[in-house]
Amino acid sequence: MLEKKVVIVNDAGLHTRPAATIVKLAAKYKSDLFIIKDGLEINGKSIIGVMTLAAEKGSELILRFDGEDEEQAAEEIIDYFKRGFDEM
Amino acid sequence: MDINSKSIIKNSNITVKFFYENTRDRFGLKLISEEVGFEREILDQNLHRPGLALAGFVELFSSKRVQLFGNTEMRFIEQLDDNKKLHSLERLFKFDIPCLVISNGNSPTKEMLHLSEKYKIPIFMTDAPTTKTIYLLSDFLDDQFAPRLSMHGSFVDVYGVGMLFVGKSGVGKSEVALDLVERGHRLVADDVVIITKKGEGILMGAGTDLVKHFMEVRGIGIIDVRSMFGVRAIRFQKRLEVVIDLEIWDMDTEYTRTGLDDSTQDIMGIKIPYVKLPIVPGKNITVISEIIALNYLLKHYGYDAPKVFRDKLSAKIKEKNRTTKRTIDYFEHDFE
Repeated sequence: MLEKKVVIVNDAGLHTRPAATIVKLAAKYKSDLFIIKDGLEINGKSIIGVMTLAAEKGSELILRFDGEDEEQAAEEIIDYFKRGFDEM
Repeated sequence: MDINSKSIIKNSNITVKFFYENTRDRFGLKLISEEVGFEREILDQNLHRPGLALAGFVELFSSKRVQLFGNTEMRFIEQLDDNKKLHSLERLFKFDIPCLVISNGNSPTKEMLHLSEKYKIPIFMTDAPTTKTIYLLSDFLDDQFAPRLSMHGSFVDVYGVGMLFVGKSGVGKSEVALDLVERGHRLVADDVVIITKKGEGILMGAGTDLVKHFMEVRGIGIIDVRSMFGVRAIRFQKRLEVVIDLEIWDMDTEYTRTGLDDSTQDIMGIKIPYVKLPIVPGKNITVISEIIALNYLLKHYGYDAPKVFRDKLSAKIKEKNRTTKRTIDYFEHDFE
């Protein structure tokens, strides 16, 4: 299991388009992805779940990867967060 | 299925402002002092009647709780002479108490209003009798401080039984929920279900305020069940009664055959009936879910089919000179 903290850096926050991308990226891997914000824990492979977070710019999320390919999954998904969902 | 105990959330405090806004309309709480100290925090779900503290014993005074003044407290203060009144009340106000509630339609004394101003502690009043006030406010505070947990799954009311479908992403939880809605059952929440421990032995489930009855169906996208099927297809909350774990059929897993041993799933210390349901081609999960709900209801009303069958079998074994018989001994001439 792997836990990493990420911060939302783009102005629009985690809206529909990046949420869809995250779910797509997560679905590529066998590992589970859970995202936690203010105690709310959701499944990162569910688009409704990811959008429920309504994460605004500057908010902190904890990503929890669990599974055989967690390292690769973490690398790709965290990189996507760092790039500001390609909106910077 | 494992539930991560780390993800249990519990409110550690609520502000007096939140407390007042939510009890004002529900229980008729009125603000009787000036609007002071609304940012104060309530840190405990219990109420406290400060009779002994007023009389002078403050050693174990539960100052973090909402202080409730019923008839006893008010009569006690009223019979004190003016000097003692102020002294006795000030002893209480000096503690960092969140707020005061006066029940039974009593009015605060002028000393209370003065101290409320001085220490910035708000006073509320209600016309409800003290025991009823205790009951209502405790229930509200219990709910606010109740542990809650978010779970990934679909939550549906099937024949009045709250069923939570869990399982891996893409196993078809939402599709089962949609199928159940189509058959007249009611969706509570999809994807993110907030489970709250309400009292002893009761778990309540609801969706989140943002998502409500939206759901994602793979290949279609996001749909709104409420707009599509109308108000009869949804509900806001439901007691959680059965957990159904959907999984692709696995040769090596043992699935229950007789139903004599009840498996349960522990959620925040409460044991909920649990069914592991294998998915195989040709199996209609929706119908099976309805059967599980009906079976649950039968059991609830005292009929446990596996046990009834077991007893019949035991009786049969004890019979002497027995043969396997048809249900009907003789068909007579009724060939229907």
